[in-house]
Amino acid sequence: MAKKLANHFRLGIFVLAGLFFLVLLLYMIGKNENIFGSTFVLKARFENINGLMPGNNVRFAGINTGTVKDIAVLNDSTIEVTMLIKEKMKPFIKKNAIATIGSDGLMGNKLVNLTASKISAEEVNENDILLSGKAVDTDELIKVMGGATDDLALIVTGLKTTINKINNSAAFWDVMNDASLPVNLRSSLMNVKQSTAGMNNMVNDLQAMVRHVQSGKGSIGSLLVDTTFAHNLNEAVERVKRAGNMADSISIQVTTLVRNIDRNLNHGEGIATALLRDTAIVHRMENSLQNIQKGTEAFHQNMEALKTNFLFRGYFRRQDQQKKKQAPED
Amino acid sequence: MVLIAKTLLQNWKIFFIEAGALSEFTGRFFTQGFRPRYEFREFVKQCFLIGYQSLALIALTAFIMGLVLTMQLRPSLVAYGVESQLPAMVGIAIVREIGPVLTALIFAGKIGSSIGAELGSMKVTEQIDAMEVSGTNPFKYLVVTRVFAATLMMPILVMLSICISLFGSYLGVNIRGVTSFHLFWTQIFDFLKFSDIIPAFIKSFFFGFAVGIIGCYKGYYSSKGTEGVGRSANSAVVVASVVVFIIDLIAVQITDVLGLN
Amino acid sequence: MRSQPASLPLAPGKQDQTVIEVKDLNKAFGDNKVLQGFNLELKKGENLVVLGKSGSGKSVLIKCIIGLLAPDKGSIHVLGESIPDLNESELDKIRVQIGFLFQSNALYDSMTVRDNLEFPLRRHWMQNATQDVDEMVMEALSDVGLVHTVDMMPIELSGGMRKRIALARTLILKPGIILYDEPTTGLDPITAREISELIVDIQKKYKASSLIITHDMRCVEITADRVIILVNGRCYATGSFEELKRSTDPQVKHFFD
Repeated sequence: MAKKLANHFRLGIFVLAGLFFLVLLLYMIGKNENIFGSTFVLKARFENINGLMPGNNVRFAGINTGTVKDIAVLNDSTIEVTMLIKEKMKPFIKKNAIATIGSDGLMGNKLVNLTASKISAEEVNENDILLSGKAVDTDELIKVMGGATDDLALIVTGLKTTINKINNSAAFWDVMNDASLPVNLRSSLMNVKQSTAGMNNMVNDLQAMVRHVQSGKGSIGSLLVDTTFAHNLNEAVERVKRAGNMADSISIQVTTLVRNIDRNLNHGEGIATALLRDTAIVHRMENSLQNIQKGTEAFHQNMEALKTNFLFRGYFRRQDQQKKKQAPED
Repeated sequence: MVLIAKTLLQNWKIFFIEAGALSEFTGRFFTQGFRPRYEFREFVKQCFLIGYQSLALIALTAFIMGLVLTMQLRPSLVAYGVESQLPAMVGIAIVREIGPVLTALIFAGKIGSSIGAELGSMKVTEQIDAMEVSGTNPFKYLVVTRVFAATLMMPILVMLSICISLFGSYLGVNIRGVTSFHLFWTQIFDFLKFSDIIPAFIKSFFFGFAVGIIGCYKGYYSSKGTEGVGRSANSAVVVASVVVFIIDLIAVQITDVLGLN
Repeated sequence: MRSQPASLPLAPGKQDQTVIEVKDLNKAFGDNKVLQGFNLELKKGENLVVLGKSGSGKSVLIKCIIGLLAPDKGSIHVLGESIPDLNESELDKIRVQIGFLFQSNALYDSMTVRDNLEFPLRRHWMQNATQDVDEMVMEALSDVGLVHTVDMMPIELSGGMRKRIALARTLILKPGIILYDEPTTGLDPITAREISELIVDIQKKYKASSLIITHDMRCVEITADRVIILVNGRCYATGSFEELKRSTDPQVKHFFD
């Protein structure tokens, strides 16, 4: 009898566990399909729904907020999509929200995207018909991408010619390759520095001498008391001083110049900046290079996406195989 | 040539005789199964033996199936770059097909043969006659209880098998990648629809019924001798497995026509 | 619902009252005509043995009497009821009064000895209290001397023990008529003898009428009040064991050699 009871107990657990999982499964699916919980109805009309089906998701600002309940053809160019939206999303969806048909990834399920407009409006009511936007079509996307590829080809050709020109210009490369230039500049600068220092010493000596003469000390001082002579001498000293100052400023300028060249050569930053000294052209070139880079990256991304698309997968696979075949031949 | 034709004709004849007898047996089940007296105690006992006792075997196979399926599907999904769809993909395969059909096949192997052998040996050792003499309708006592038990236990086994399969699949997903438990279930439930689970649930009743009625039929009409018992157990499994697939085929057609795909 | 043996539709004291009457019984399986116009009468309190070779249709006869097989032709009356004309519930009522010992015992493999014995009890009269059922099980087991096996499974018992348990199950409803289908087949001579003696003891204890089907002459010798020899689906000869033993008919002599 006890065994029988134990068996009944086990059977009961077994049956209830099965039923529990069934109910759980139904509830979880139902939750996703908005069957349990309050909802309201919104509608939108489209020209083309791109294969949207009842049961597809509706997203508002990227959040799953409901499902497509029904699709009805009103006339040859109007299809009405009825959507069940969670009641709690109602305050956030405004009357001027725009419904578009999108897809979950490049090849995922179709869905309806509700996008909020920046202009404020009233919140939606039951059975409101939302404005609709044109759907992004994969076919169109591929068409646009085809055009972009053509443009890219042109740009690349132009770029190639420019680079060839630069490569073939002997003058440019002479300047670029002259390694003695900075060394020469540096040594001349040293010379200037040395002469300036020498001049400074001379001026100091002269000044001391003048002071001695003025104060009439020493034999020369007593001899040269004539003020005219003294005045002339003073003037001469002043001139020498001025010349020294000028030499100083020149030397500073030269130092800066050399430093710049040095840095440019060592760090390779904008070689053209230092040597051609035409910043405008360089800027333009830099910009166009960046643009090309960006374009190439985007194109690369598109191509990667396409590769994963099963439609084009075969093509890319064939290409890979061909490459592999060619490799051993080479 | 003539001989071959004759044998073929003979086999076809046997096939139709079997089909007719099985249909009659099924008809007898429906005419007697819903009338008193109801063998409730025996029914509960059979539920325990048929349902609960099969759980361990079905749980093991379901777990392995979920795990293996996940690991096998991964490379092709990676090739398409949709590895993130792995739980959804496996979930739908398990709920719609693997869970019900695999469970039904294991069930046919275990329960179909055991019913066939049990009733066959009862037939051979006159236990069925003894029951009739003891004031018991053996058809109601043996056949009706077992068929009902199989029909009702099967969907529960299928549900538990799906659940365990999905756990196996979760493990499979996490062998090569990292997916949180929560995300795994969210992805599965996000992808599943009522039209996935309900046909699977309904067809599992038919699977259970088929296994039960075929096992009982083969056992009940077992030929004399121990060899007959073996043969009835064997053919119960074979016929039940084939019928499971036929029901699956019909079910997919019906769901397709109803637009539940 | 249960009819007690005392309430049999027989006038008490009328010792030669017929309980089973079979007339012109015909039964064929395809082209194999097993019984062809068989006649039989079982009197109350009598031990009647039907003797025949293997495959001579003895088992078919007994299954026709209990209603497991329907005869092609002929009448079968048990306790005044025409068996082939009864529906299921009427058959059940008659069957309560008939014990049937199967050739292969037909013990339920999946049940203990106790459950095996309880089965006909619970089936035929569900309203009985558990206490009653327990007592009856023990009484029937003590009749065959196997009280200690009550919680064992049939598979654990020897052939002879199984035969006794089957007999206990047959007796548990205290039937007025007991049908034995080859009770000693497959048993060693000593056990067969024990079983035969048990049949006689039980017949005395319950004052039941018995129809025994066998080809075992020892069993016939011990149990038979009257013997019918079945040959070619017909009643070939009838008489007491001693009378038939003295017969000079080659067919009859064949059994005694």
